[in-house]
Amino acid sequence: MKPKIPEEKELSRRAFLKCTGTIVFAMGTSGYVLGECGAKETGSGIAVSDGYLVVDVEKCQGCISCMLACALVHEGVQSLSLSRIQILQNSFGKFPDDLTIEQCRQCEEPACVEACPENALTANAQFGHVRMVDKEKCTGCGSCFTACPHTPARVTVMEDETFNRELKSLKCDLCAHTPYHWDEKGGGPDGKLACVEVCPVGAIAFTRKLPVQEGKSGYKINLRDDSWVKLGYRKS
Amino acid sequence: MNGYAGSILSIDLSTRSITTIPTEKYEQWVGGHGMGSALFFDMVKNKTIDGFHPENVITLMSSPLCGTLVPCGAARTEIQGIGVQSLPIGWFTRSNFGGRFSAMLKYAGWDGIAIQGQADSRVWIDIRNHDVTIRECGELGLWGTDTWECQKTIWKDVAGGGVYGDWIKINEKGDMTTQRPAVLAIGPAGENLSRMACLIHDAGNGAGQGGFGAVFGKKGLKAISVIGTGSIRVNDPKALMTSRLWLKKAYSFDLKNLKSKNFTIGFQSPPVPMALFRFGKPGIGQRPQACVGCSSGCRGRYEDGIGNEAICFNSLFYYLGKTLLIQRQAADLINRYGLNAAEMFVGELYLKTLNDLGLLGQGKQIDCPLDFKQYGELAYAKQLVKAVSYRSDGNGNPHPFGDTLAEGFVRAAQKWGRLDGEQSDLKTGLLKFPHWGLPMHKLERSQLDWGYGTILGDRDINEHCFDMLRAFPTYFKMVGGELPPSENVVKIITDKMEPFQGDMKMLDFSTENMYSEHMIKLVTWHRYYTRFWKQSTQLCDFRWPDFLNLYGPGTAGATGIAEPIFFNAVTGKNFTFKDGIDLGKKIWNLDNAIWTLQGRHRDMVRFADYIYTNPGTTPSGYPEYMPGIKNGKWDYVITSGRHFDPDQFEDFKTRFYRFQGWDEQTGYPTRKILASIGLDYVADALEKNGKI
Repeated sequence: MKPKIPEEKELSRRAFLKCTGTIVFAMGTSGYVLGECGAKETGSGIAVSDGYLVVDVEKCQGCISCMLACALVHEGVQSLSLSRIQILQNSFGKFPDDLTIEQCRQCEEPACVEACPENALTANAQFGHVRMVDKEKCTGCGSCFTACPHTPARVTVMEDETFNRELKSLKCDLCAHTPYHWDEKGGGPDGKLACVEVCPVGAIAFTRKLPVQEGKSGYKINLRDDSWVKLGYRKS
Repeated sequence: MNGYAGSILSIDLSTRSITTIPTEKYEQWVGGHGMGSALFFDMVKNKTIDGFHPENVITLMSSPLCGTLVPCGAARTEIQGIGVQSLPIGWFTRSNFGGRFSAMLKYAGWDGIAIQGQADSRVWIDIRNHDVTIRECGELGLWGTDTWECQKTIWKDVAGGGVYGDWIKINEKGDMTTQRPAVLAIGPAGENLSRMACLIHDAGNGAGQGGFGAVFGKKGLKAISVIGTGSIRVNDPKALMTSRLWLKKAYSFDLKNLKSKNFTIGFQSPPVPMALFRFGKPGIGQRPQACVGCSSGCRGRYEDGIGNEAICFNSLFYYLGKTLLIQRQAADLINRYGLNAAEMFVGELYLKTLNDLGLLGQGKQIDCPLDFKQYGELAYAKQLVKAVSYRSDGNGNPHPFGDTLAEGFVRAAQKWGRLDGEQSDLKTGLLKFPHWGLPMHKLERSQLDWGYGTILGDRDINEHCFDMLRAFPTYFKMVGGELPPSENVVKIITDKMEPFQGDMKMLDFSTENMYSEHMIKLVTWHRYYTRFWKQSTQLCDFRWPDFLNLYGPGTAGATGIAEPIFFNAVTGKNFTFKDGIDLGKKIWNLDNAIWTLQGRHRDMVRFADYIYTNPGTTPSGYPEYMPGIKNGKWDYVITSGRHFDPDQFEDFKTRFYRFQGWDEQTGYPTRKILASIGLDYVADALEKNGKI
């Protein structure tokens, strides 16, 4: 299974990002206003998620165990491209900019959900309103990928072997739908999350509190405590 | 074939042909070293060729565990082929490096690569999933770049119009990833065929031993780049995840309950860089940095980007650099130029000693252009590294000093006349290269598993399985502190050493036990364990075996239990720990058959002269302690300050060969032992060459 994004979808995504940049700028300077691309107002009627992943990019050791665990519990295979959480790193970079963790934000206003023409991507009430893909409905059109305002997009589209290699959307569901989950109670906001459980240093955490949506600071937080400092690393 | 990609990539640079070998054909060897040895045996018909010969085959192998969630078992790449570094000839040898390469190789659809031939121009190999291209270096200006510049240039090329930080499309089919390609490159040292040239991946993953950087250079191969977006099937995903979490909970460091904050071998160690800079670790912003799937990173990345991922010998090179910053910059230098840090570390101190003695320098008996007035400054290290890398004076001018030194320190000493007569530097011990023309690592007369393993093999084994038995007692005796009773420690470990479990005297390092049958069993077990579990399944040397563990039940580690649990979760092969040891025996025998076909005879298996006369002492001057029986009781005994006895060592060899089932007079494998482990075809080859 490999992510595949048609060329035209990449182009439309770029166009969207350009517009999204305008929205963010407007929010930062004059409050919460409408953007220029026809984005919806707040209060779109989509329930907020019951949980979120937050990460500490300074604590991460770059082992990508979270990526391996993610693909393993969801797809039963080992793959980086099928991971819903992405660690991007540059061996020659300067700390802390040598590495970043990009996880799905389960956005309060999920552009991916709103963009899905098939209602295949929804806030699933059964799993705490996590933004989830119903693969039976998903046509692999890539609208969600295009709509995601973040870089890299937190939704990808892949060939799915269980659907005769048809393109299907793939995104973090907080381990809600994990055919290969190790715990009989499974995942989701009330269960065990593969990336959180496997991280050797505790650089990924789960919270029920809605993070600040603007910018990155709500999702990239400080999880370092004194035990970390004792090893010679800085706390802040 | 759970855990496998299914194909091995075979590239002939002479004909520029790219073919595939079904992995299944070599599956009985599992992966890594075993698979590499078997491939080499089949592909290289004439084993007596030199490492620089075009027919030399270099294998780069992953394992079924690479790229999986197996802790500290997902990231190593095993490299084999005829090396050019050792003496009296370049043995068929191995090196190994961590990082991302083997994982990425598997995601691209390949279990390994076999490279033969010699390109008629300078090339690099571009692997993007199943698309493999031999490309000209001239296209991107790669030849002449250092290892880091080379990698960055390739990264940019693979990204095409994309930008890292976003999804990258790696081919026309639209396969996507956020990851940079894993690139293995040589620097100027490899291009100019220094026998100390290594291979570098990312900032600090080096395959140092064997001089494979020079072999790449001779083949005209600058780099191999691989990016993969595929996936690897595992036999039991739930079992793999459960096992990973079990090891984490039961045996791994707990930040809320740290039992040690220093680097140690095994799973109890928290993630701290094993940087050995003389001035300590950099006190600046940093993170631990880990290979793929590692539970506890052993390297660091820093806020100034200097010394990124430099550990161990990298950080020891230029030990007498005047400041920490200079030492860190020097570590970057040898990574960028692509030099073996171990040989450069020991050799650099040899040069300084010769200079102090008035024997080497500008206008001295050994004419050396290095500016010793700059010794300790970065300028000196830079000049030395450049001299070796470019075979020059280090300032851009051709010079016999650099040309000679690029051949390695022992060959250089020979040329300088330093190995003649009774005052030979290998008799006095001035040149600390005790085995196979390679630099000292551990004190071989003290840490016997290391010394015997090295001389009975082909290279500095660099296997830390029993290193804690020297490191902890020596440290605690020096600084004070309570050691656990050695008898308890020895029992825990030897109980795990199947099939010799229970023989506690295997770990009696006292002088009285140096040549015993127990020591033979220790060396044998070590060869078998490492050949399979460490070098074929590619479990990391720093974390496996997990013998002693402060979090484990009764301080016993996970080894013996954990290896097959993880292996079977991925492969479904239903292997036992002993199955792995048995396969290790088979691989060890195949290796010895290859060495025999190269021309090895037991008479060649001997240490440098000084090892039989000089008492082994540590650079610090403090004695080393290891477990041993003293006055009939287990204790920690001083193991430094002694030397091997040549006659007793020869007798040890005879009994070791007998124990292996090898010919005692020659050290050659016998048909009987080879037939007993399914290697009749190897025996046939030996017989055809008059070795049986």
